[in-house]
Amino acid sequence: MAKNNIYAIIGNSAAGLSAIESIRKVDKSGKIINISKEPHRPYSRCLLSYYLAGQYPKEILWIRPEDYYSKYNVEPLLGITVTDVDIKNKALSTSAKKKVTFDKLLIATGASAKSVDIPGADKKGVFVLRTIEDVDGMLKMLSRVKTACVLGGGLIGMRAAYALKKRGVKVHTIVKSAHIFSQMLDIEAADIMRQHLETNGIEIATGVEAKEIIGGDSVTSVVLDDGNRLECELIIIGKGVSANCDIIKNKIKTSGGILVDDKLETEKKGIYAAGDVAEAYDILEEKSGMNQIWPIAIRQGKIAGLNMTGKETRYEGSYGMNSLDFFNLAVMSFGTVKPKGVKHEELIAIDTNRRLYRKIVLKGNRIVGGVLINDVARHGILLHLALQKIDVSDIKDILVDEYFDFGKVMPLIRRQHKKFVRPEYEDAGLTYNPEISSVKFQDGHFEI
Amino acid sequence: MESAKKIFCDVTKCIACRTCEIACAVEHSTTKDLFLAMLERPRPKRRTFVHFIGRGISHSIACQHCDEPPCVEACMSSCISKNDETGTVDIDRSRCVGCWMCIMSCPFGIISRDLDDKNKAVKCDLCPERECPACVDACPTNTLSYETRDTFSKRIKDKDKGYGKK
Repeated sequence: MAKNNIYAIIGNSAAGLSAIESIRKVDKSGKIINISKEPHRPYSRCLLSYYLAGQYPKEILWIRPEDYYSKYNVEPLLGITVTDVDIKNKALSTSAKKKVTFDKLLIATGASAKSVDIPGADKKGVFVLRTIEDVDGMLKMLSRVKTACVLGGGLIGMRAAYALKKRGVKVHTIVKSAHIFSQMLDIEAADIMRQHLETNGIEIATGVEAKEIIGGDSVTSVVLDDGNRLECELIIIGKGVSANCDIIKNKIKTSGGILVDDKLETEKKGIYAAGDVAEAYDILEEKSGMNQIWPIAIRQGKIAGLNMTGKETRYEGSYGMNSLDFFNLAVMSFGTVKPKGVKHEELIAIDTNRRLYRKIVLKGNRIVGGVLINDVARHGILLHLALQKIDVSDIKDILVDEYFDFGKVMPLIRRQHKKFVRPEYEDAGLTYNPEISSVKFQDGHFEI
Repeated sequence: MESAKKIFCDVTKCIACRTCEIACAVEHSTTKDLFLAMLERPRPKRRTFVHFIGRGISHSIACQHCDEPPCVEACMSSCISKNDETGTVDIDRSRCVGCWMCIMSCPFGIISRDLDDKNKAVKCDLCPERECPACVDACPTNTLSYETRDTFSKRIKDKDKGYGKK
């Protein structure tokens, strides 16, 4: 390398960190500058609800050691916002009045929580759940809170509701849709989860919306569009997130987020985007889409980092998936859960008494989505069958069976071994031959 | 990393006796004694699983300590990491919050929820206190072996070209 590359990375959460680490694996001497508007050392946003719940101390949030930046030889610019990107001259203007020039830029600015546009939304006691400051603010007033309202019945809303319940606060959840988790779950699964949450003391109202937040300086109640009024001292808005692409919006093609190709590069050469801010091709939905989840951000950061160093690496595409656990009931889903087309087929096994639910969505002979409640161990197996576009027609009958496990996938590995790309599949399948059985059934008894 | 040792299973030898599962649970108990381990609470957990592939055909499978582990990418609390020196995928229990993102993304379905013990994810740790994992030592038919990918595949291929004939 004749000259050291300068890498600028905006954002120090999943995608940003992952990119730093993957760049450093390849390029030991290039200069890396990491700019973040948050003044903290790297932390995991996903753990905020656990911190809010009081289940874990604040220390759990720090996902990298204190000497992280020096260890990776990175120049951190924390608590600083990027105000403008000069694409032509490859330079960033920052709030610190300091110009940063770069050879390669990664935009990993993430997403921000959406607010609600109703009167009173600016009162004290109205929060979103996105940053450490949000949670610290809630904790500061928690001793005075008897009742809280959560607006939104999605993942963040329910996590917030669960956390507050763990703190002994009475929680009302106000959900606009007819069902909770309307993005992540189908109706049957949502109903099982709703019943479980309600049994454990979380109040849920669906089909209603908050109309106005009442109070002087601070919140005292919220008025709903069905005329009801709920007294509360704390409101958390969990209405989803939107990508932080303001700094670049009129310079680079965006849709829901910054559009990237299969190298995580934007339409401008040398400028990459990864994580919650990026919009990539969705392999399960088979169209471009936003998948704002931790694992995708890590993967994208990693691949973007490699491409930034010049080591060309193809990104396989993104996909949606989520895992939740409330009062010891686990629920997971991936891909398409509420198919609209006639081409889809659904396999369902349901046992309400044991709160078991398994649903798999097929398109042709491929898995494209699934929902699991309680019996979640197989989720990863199904997910990878879906991602590798495996023809599952041979094992279709047993996919939602109680006894389905990785063993049942082994015949497929043998028959479609080219599609099973991980070397570990070969390790597991190397000695498998359906014609050789170690146990023989002869004359009414087994023989080894 | 190619040379890292892990547990391999010769499917043609497995008789589904599940001795590996018991040995695993005992090794991960406090007393490390079969009879006392049965009485322990929380109950010791196995980290390896015997699955039936088809009639009369079974295998034993545990964490594959993947070259590119999806669980490490998915873990939002950074409690799972790939050790580049030993090749193992390790869980730092003190950081696990029980979000099950690892379970969600494991291609082999071999990470479990330990609900008895504070909602932590558990999986094969290759028995760090032993020279050879307990399941491998206990396997009565030599189905399981602890070796590198290279030695395993070489051994299998040499033994019977293609493994197709009896």
